[in-house]
Amino acid sequence: MQRAFIVGMIIAVLASVSGTFVVLRRYSMISETLAHSALVGVAVGLVAGFNPLWMAVIVAIFSAWLIEYLRSEFSLYSDAILAILLSGSLAAAVIIVSLGGAFNNSLFSYLFGSILSVSYEDVVTISIFGTMALVTLLLFSKELYFVAYDEEVAKTSGVKVKLLNFLLVSVVAIIIALSIRVVGSLLIGALMVIPTIAALQFKVGFVKTVMISLVFALISVFAGMTLSFHFSLPSGATIVLCVLFIFIISLIINRK
Amino acid sequence: MPMKFSVPIFSVRNLNFNIKGQKILSNISLDILASEYIAIIGPNGGGKTTLIRMLLGLDKPTTGEIKIFGKRLKDFKKWYKIGYVPQRASHVDSAFPATVLDIVKMGRTTQRGYFSSFSKEDKKLVHDAMQKMDVLDLADKMVGILSGGQRQRVMIARALASKPEILILDEPNTGVDMLSQKNFYALLKQLNKEDGITIVFITHDIGVIADDIAKLFTINQKAVICNDPKQILSCADMSELYGIEAHLLHNHKHEH
Ligand SMILES: Nc1ncnc2c1ncn2[C@@H]1O[C@H](COP(=O)(O)OP(=O)(O)OP(=O)(O)O)[C@@H](O)[C@H]1O
Ligand SMILES: [Mg+2]
Repeated sequence: MQRAFIVGMIIAVLASVSGTFVVLRRYSMISETLAHSALVGVAVGLVAGFNPLWMAVIVAIFSAWLIEYLRSEFSLYSDAILAILLSGSLAAAVIIVSLGGAFNNSLFSYLFGSILSVSYEDVVTISIFGTMALVTLLLFSKELYFVAYDEEVAKTSGVKVKLLNFLLVSVVAIIIALSIRVVGSLLIGALMVIPTIAALQFKVGFVKTVMISLVFALISVFAGMTLSFHFSLPSGATIVLCVLFIFIISLIINRK
Repeated sequence: MPMKFSVPIFSVRNLNFNIKGQKILSNISLDILASEYIAIIGPNGGGKTTLIRMLLGLDKPTTGEIKIFGKRLKDFKKWYKIGYVPQRASHVDSAFPATVLDIVKMGRTTQRGYFSSFSKEDKKLVHDAMQKMDVLDLADKMVGILSGGQRQRVMIARALASKPEILILDEPNTGVDMLSQKNFYALLKQLNKEDGITIVFITHDIGVIADDIAKLFTINQKAVICNDPKQILSCADMSELYGIEAHLLHNHKHEH
């Protein structure tokens, strides 16, 4: 139980900080797609007996690079490419797990999140990779912010836009893969995007927006996991409902 | 540093640009030397913005060669020397979480390399740039709520904060009031004469700055280059009257 809360808090930090860049860079759909790709990794892990978390990280990163490559080479229809990858991944994951005879609880918990299944090994993996992901984001935050605001001017001032895009999707892929155990692959996108969208309603500067989004994510994860624990509900679903609730409150507070 | 003056900052040779078979720029050759103040005029759709975008590597020419400090664009590393204010600075999402200060600070992003945070010197340069553009009192305002002219001044402040050696301005004072425009022209003159900054200024307002500039380029698919400051006003009149057919002009006499 305590383990799950530690992991949950780490994920709240990771998802909301990376989520700010995801939203500002208009990468929401990419993060959604990566969440489904990560599921393929989980499926392979479950069936082949590897650590599903590790497999999720590997497949998600690979998928992130593929998406960035396709987007830069064939800029037309990039949302269609994402839709194809998203549903393709989900289908592949379900088939792999079914063929391996493992469909039911184990996959279900990766779809919607489960706090009961967090192992000690998971805590270690998530802490290590999570710290690396967060440090990377913070190191490049001024460049990422500049590119999000004005890609062309950033480029003409010497920011390596392509490299940063790859970096961002890679970091997001890692964060998503780490998060799907607790939040679930169908719901992690919401935890990344909604706290930032809620924070944006307050119309404040960059640092404050990140802070607000972080606080919202922490509150939702804490409240969601508590609810999940008391009523034996899937944690991802309760977390997302909490974050939605906060979003609605933010909308009402900031209504003109 | 006499070396600096022997290599043009930009040198363009036989540049052509077509989109879908339509000629946008045709056989353009020109040089921009260190510490020159250059004005570019021409009718709407003449290709001024396109030419600038090619100098900055944002669009690729169909044929022809562009060199910056004697290097091909893709081999050039010191982009931090360039301050660029694009034509439409207001295309950006009004919900973007940025204060005026956040935006001007972006000008310092690539000056210090990755991993470093803002130093005292950065802060001073940001402050000075904001003072020059008279936006200090807007520092904590959200950029999304500014008026068009205010926002334009903020964009110029960001370019100035990067302490550029070359300032490229694409009709930066659209929507800026008369008094601010006058101050801005005075500032450009000062930056050029006192600080030796090379200025490339796209404008329709040639009369006011005619005495300040060294060369005038008229771009209307082809380029007409007026090298003689004393003749600039008559050049401008001719160019407007005859468009690109004004071969009477001093066409690239000083070459080689
Ligand atoms: N990406 C593009 N696709 C199609 N046409 C383009 C593209 N970029 C520029 N053009 C065309 O190139 C021509 C030159 O455009 P450009 O923006 O360079 O003109 P301009 O001289 O800057 O005009 P203005 O004074 O209105 O800013 C226009 O006819 C424009 O339609
Ligand atoms: Mg233009």
